[in-house]
Amino acid sequence: MLLAALAVYPAFGTGYGVRAMLQIFMWIALAGSWNIISGLTGYVSFGHVAFFGAGAYAGAILIANAGWPWVPAAAAGGVAACVLALVIGYPCLRLKGPYFAIAMLGLNEVLRALVSYFEALTGGGSGLSLPTLHATVPIYYAMAGTAAAVTLLTFLIITSRFGLRLMTIREDELAAEAMGIDTARHKLYAFLLSAAGPGIAGALAARDQGYIEPISVFPLATTITMIVMALFGGKGTVWGPVLGAVVLFVAQELVWARFPYVHQLLFGAIIVAVVLLMPRGVLGILQLKYRLPRTI
Amino acid sequence: MPAPVLELRRLSKRFGGVAAVDGVSLALEPGRIYGLIGPNGSGKTTLFNCITGVERRDGGEVVFGGERIDGLKPWQIAQRGIGRTFQIIRVFPELTALENLLVVTRGGAEEARAHALELLRLVTLEGLQDEYAGNLSYGQQKLVEFARVLMRDPTLILLDEPAAGVNRTLLNDLLATVAGLRDAGKTVLLVEHDMKVVMGLCETVFVLDHGEKIAEGPPGAIQADERVIEAYFGR
Amino acid sequence: MVGQVVISGILAGALYAMVALGLALIYGVMRVINIAHGPLLMLGAYTTFFLYSAFGLNPYLSIPVTMAVLFVVGVVLQRSLVFRVVDAPELSSLLLTFGISIGLVNLAQLAFTSDLRAVEYLTGSIPLGPFALSKTRLVAFVFAGGVTALAFLFLQRTRLGKAIRATSQSPEVAMVCGIDVRRVHMFTFGLATALAAAGGALIAVIVAIQPEMGQVWTFKSFLVIVLGGAGNYPGALLGGMLLGLVEQLAALFLTTQLSEVVAYLLLVVVLLVRPTGLLGGRQT
Repeated sequence: MLLAALAVYPAFGTGYGVRAMLQIFMWIALAGSWNIISGLTGYVSFGHVAFFGAGAYAGAILIANAGWPWVPAAAAGGVAACVLALVIGYPCLRLKGPYFAIAMLGLNEVLRALVSYFEALTGGGSGLSLPTLHATVPIYYAMAGTAAAVTLLTFLIITSRFGLRLMTIREDELAAEAMGIDTARHKLYAFLLSAAGPGIAGALAARDQGYIEPISVFPLATTITMIVMALFGGKGTVWGPVLGAVVLFVAQELVWARFPYVHQLLFGAIIVAVVLLMPRGVLGILQLKYRLPRTI
Repeated sequence: MPAPVLELRRLSKRFGGVAAVDGVSLALEPGRIYGLIGPNGSGKTTLFNCITGVERRDGGEVVFGGERIDGLKPWQIAQRGIGRTFQIIRVFPELTALENLLVVTRGGAEEARAHALELLRLVTLEGLQDEYAGNLSYGQQKLVEFARVLMRDPTLILLDEPAAGVNRTLLNDLLATVAGLRDAGKTVLLVEHDMKVVMGLCETVFVLDHGEKIAEGPPGAIQADERVIEAYFGR
Repeated sequence: MVGQVVISGILAGALYAMVALGLALIYGVMRVINIAHGPLLMLGAYTTFFLYSAFGLNPYLSIPVTMAVLFVVGVVLQRSLVFRVVDAPELSSLLLTFGISIGLVNLAQLAFTSDLRAVEYLTGSIPLGPFALSKTRLVAFVFAGGVTALAFLFLQRTRLGKAIRATSQSPEVAMVCGIDVRRVHMFTFGLATALAAAGGALIAVIVAIQPEMGQVWTFKSFLVIVLGGAGNYPGALLGGMLLGLVEQLAALFLTTQLSEVVAYLLLVVVLLVRPTGLLGGRQT
């Protein structure tokens, strides 16, 4: 029933409303994807926005310079993000958890520098403009589809043996290796899977905005937001990122209306609070308390 | 003389200036139970770690089934047929007992599940398969770890202090299972401090002291060996 | 040209080393990866700025004040938040310090706005043969070198310093020896913050001050530690110098932007090839 409502919403909703829902779908896709790598394997990815930006640029370049229609461009965005994940993940995931996190920290800055450097292709610091297209409604559906796909993917992973093995990496990587699990390969697969969603979402977002520049698609704020959403809702769960995305997006919009710029501070505080008080997030706590199945 | 399952040739491992394992050589024949004893800090767990690839050895060779395995990653070694338990239990606490076993195997889902349930029954844990491993008692977790090792049907099983913290009845069941494994042709090497276990179960015992192998032989001979007595009770 | 680069690299190196030493201490003693290190440096820079613009305090003479203030901030942070994740899995401390760093940066943004500030104090350079030594960088080098040397003396000679080293080698043994590990943790965090603050103070006269200035320092400090070896405190010195040199060299042959990429690649390569650091240290 909810699905039906969401499906027909664009017909009734205001322009602002549709945009907002579109954003929520985007965050669901982002937070859910972060959850796949960081929530399941415990390898915290602080640079995940890199995939969002890579997808955005790949899609935008294809649309603006090669005249591609936005649907295949979005798919290409996902592919580009996966390629980036492969390039980065292959060396970095061999590192143990903390070192991986450090490596991911630096990733943002590096990508921003690279984008500025390759000006001719990317429009450099002044950005890239896309031919105007009013396609908010179809993009709404596309983004909704991406969000659904990411959630479904999480569900499939968590209910599979592959997912169990990812979790063993989080629990005790040494023991997992001793049991014959090729942890490097598993981490890489999870990483690749976690990059596709942001890649596609990035391309869609670029198409929707009609213009991108390095600052807009590689901001640390995006990483922060997707992390806090997944953490709050419950990392390692299926619906946790969805819950986190909806609640925190609404909260962000409300707070932004009254006190601009405070919401980031709030997110930082929420991260601290969640880590100290409810490390498993809202759904995680419910899961524990009411012995809910893992597929929640 | 059948070909040895495992051979260590002058295996060495140093930590900084200290030789934790110092030129240890030994050979394990198939279908026997071996013990590895020695005072605390003599290098037993390090030896296990070198065999299983958790630590990189500094010198010497580890040969398993005729093939050199030193330098391989732990998961590769595990897949070749060496299983081990840990001194401090390392079950996956947020996975159920059944899932702890399921993550190990390679086969199809149905067959893996059946095999896992069978093993849980073997260690008398049936009924607890859907319990989170972290919620089980110490002894039960030990059994889960043990069953988990058997999932892959290893040729060589390394047990690190299987008797630690386990009550007598459980221990006897465990030891009976180990003897059963030996009868089925598997090779077992266990590190243990409980001398009764070692003397009662092991056919051959190796003694380590300060990283060196100082004695090797049947339990009776080891107990009487002067160097062993010195190592344990001081010079 | 290369000579100039080498000199610039060495000058920068001491600064990197000092700041990284703080991070190394926190990791060594508490196994906590302090992502908030850079923002703490930023706070040091702002403190210097305000002491200068409000009270006219010489930005170099006010360093002890800045260090003291931030020392207290560090202790407070440790006592209230960080101590809870000292024994927790590394994931928790990573996320916690990440949250703290966001909090600090945004507090700074709210309190100070993103307007660029600067402390105009020393300008120009001193010629030394064919080379030019930037005055501010030279002073930074001297100060950083001095502070680092003092820190090492402290670690080697004083009881508290030895307690810190003991705790980083083995907390359990340290406790048994009667060392109050909790106090050591608080002090270490405070000390590390003070070192970062000193770095911030020295930087305040060199670059523009804004809330996000610290973040790249966090990353570079990690890089220094990786180069020198985790837990290897003297290694941080070498690592700092190396980073300084590599950066300057890269900036010479490539653009400054790409020099950051080079630093990043260096990190990844070193982690893959010799994760224990160039001088050898502890592996996590």
